[in-house]
Amino acid sequence: MNASNIKISINTSVRLSNFPKAVWAGALALTLTCNLGTTRADETCSSPYLARIEGQEEFVYVWTLGVEGLGDGADKLVTVDVKPGSSTYGKVINSVSVEGRNEAHHAGFTDDRRQLWLAGLDTSRVFIFDVYTDPSKPRYVKTIDNFEKTTGGAIGPHGAYPLPGRMLIPCLSNSKDKTGRTALVEFSNDGDYIATHWLPTKENARGAADANIADGYGYDARVLPRKNALLTSSFTGWNNYMTEFSKMTANPEAMKQFGQTMVMWDFHTRQPKKIFQVPGAPLEVRWAWGANHNYAFTATALGSKLWLVYLDDKGEWQAKEVAPISDVKGGVLPVDISLSADDKTLFVCGFMDGKCRVFDVSDPHKPKQIYEKKIGQQVNMVSESWDGKRVYFTSSLLARWDKKGADNDQFLRGYAWDGKELKPAFDLDFTALKLGRAHHMLFGSTKLGPNRVVASN
Amino acid sequence: MRLFLTFIFLIVRVTSFAGDQLPRDSDYDYEAPAPGSYTLPVIKLAADGALLDSNNKNVQLRDLTHGRITVLGFIYTRCAAPRACPYAINVFDQLHSVSAKDKALTQNMRLVSVSFDPEHDTPQHLAEYSEWVSETRSGCEWRFATAKSHAELEPILAAYNQAVDQRPNPADPQGPLYHTLRVFLVDRDGRIRNIYSSGTLDLRLVLADVKTLLLEEARLSKR
Repeated sequence: MNASNIKISINTSVRLSNFPKAVWAGALALTLTCNLGTTRADETCSSPYLARIEGQEEFVYVWTLGVEGLGDGADKLVTVDVKPGSSTYGKVINSVSVEGRNEAHHAGFTDDRRQLWLAGLDTSRVFIFDVYTDPSKPRYVKTIDNFEKTTGGAIGPHGAYPLPGRMLIPCLSNSKDKTGRTALVEFSNDGDYIATHWLPTKENARGAADANIADGYGYDARVLPRKNALLTSSFTGWNNYMTEFSKMTANPEAMKQFGQTMVMWDFHTRQPKKIFQVPGAPLEVRWAWGANHNYAFTATALGSKLWLVYLDDKGEWQAKEVAPISDVKGGVLPVDISLSADDKTLFVCGFMDGKCRVFDVSDPHKPKQIYEKKIGQQVNMVSESWDGKRVYFTSSLLARWDKKGADNDQFLRGYAWDGKELKPAFDLDFTALKLGRAHHMLFGSTKLGPNRVVASN
Repeated sequence: MRLFLTFIFLIVRVTSFAGDQLPRDSDYDYEAPAPGSYTLPVIKLAADGALLDSNNKNVQLRDLTHGRITVLGFIYTRCAAPRACPYAINVFDQLHSVSAKDKALTQNMRLVSVSFDPEHDTPQHLAEYSEWVSETRSGCEWRFATAKSHAELEPILAAYNQAVDQRPNPADPQGPLYHTLRVFLVDRDGRIRNIYSSGTLDLRLVLADVKTLLLEEARLSKR
């Protein structure tokens, strides 16, 4: 029985208001006699706990790094109209600057999609915006500016991942030595600190298996609710991500300071259970959406490989390399990846050659590249609509790692995707517009505002 | 008759579970953690507010979130969204059923269902549910309440970050209101210790959490 069948059976059989006994009987019958196929998804890369936009997104929010001497020089939240047919389609319709430059990086909505939290990797500040009252004009609410102190030394908030009533913030570093040893941190939706969970290390594995390979590094954190599984990946610390790219790569000691692991956690208890050796800085985690698809993809930035974390026939989580990303010598520094809602297509951005590579991942153990397109001189983030028809790209990786001179292409570019080809829809030059370096994208819609309907239930 | 028989069958089936031995299913396909093997950090204080209970008496929400370990959910009875109120009511009913077989839960747990639809879910209407519960079994306390008005309800919903919006079509088959599902675990001192939604409102997890708080209390009382 699939989810749509269940919806029909509920809607035609019971109403809470009329027959209290019957509704409880109906609800019990559903749980105990049907395989409830919950749709736990969002526009492909978001938290399963987030209210979802299934249809046409109306706005793309871009968390943008300020550039000294360009415009006001400050980090900003840029809103772009992407409503087809709108007179301002593909144009910037709003921009709100925050205080200073914070190494703007990733962002995330609260689970009710009423707030957007914007994280700064350098200053460890988190800026909270209201995107509910008027989704076309995000309104600044407040800043979490005591992050290091309240979390007990975690720094470099990487983004914000919505959980029920709270936010999970995976960090990249720590205030003590500013390496990649770091923690997951939780705040309530009100912005109040809840807890810090340090990544397992050799010295303190916190009960995780394979502690001998633990490095304590962090990057992404994503949940598969059905399996009570929280999967984290690993990158590098403040010492590296705030250093010029050429200077860092020339330093052999610095190049040793990259994550080599992923960790599977018991999500409910926040206890690390198993550590996987995944060399070369595994970055974004993308769980499959299918009801029986017990696997996630990641791409290693330095290894230039696709990896699969999957549940084997014995019910054990495993990790293995499943495909190279390009045959370019030295790799292409794969960064963001996006898995389609049907779990069949994986978009992979290569920062160094500015190309998006598309893989057929229908068989997750044997990905096959089916398409590639040059997006710009550099490309970092990719965001796909839930229906898979639209794909957006931005350019900036880190302020000190972006390319120099003419290669420092800074943009938001929208494309149509027909399953075979990316066709340009609009192009915004963030340098010409004096905005800055375009980084993380998130979708907005007026249908999420007050007295309006959302698609998700 | 068919629904009634189904109901009787299921009640028997549910109450035959011993709580800790509840089976995993495809939606919650994992072993539930052992109570006390983990901690539940304080999220925030459970907010107060003026309510009307199903006896049409004034009651403060504070009185429903202190003195027992409380599982508090916001609902409306016209809801037909499959993963929202009907699902939450089902979980509450199972919790109540399990509590009827567990003295510690009967004496220490409380269920609270607060409606955010005061025009329709009047105290008289909520009394139907309350009476049904008391007639069916003697488990833990299960209170039903609403507010006198939206004006009194709004600050409560805001304090619990309970999003509620009107749907454009009042005849929407899923009900006239859109809302996120929020269920709160509140300790005896009125502190929120967990927040569940449809993706995490697993009966086994809620029971493990309640028992974890009971074990925490026992541990602290020995100091």
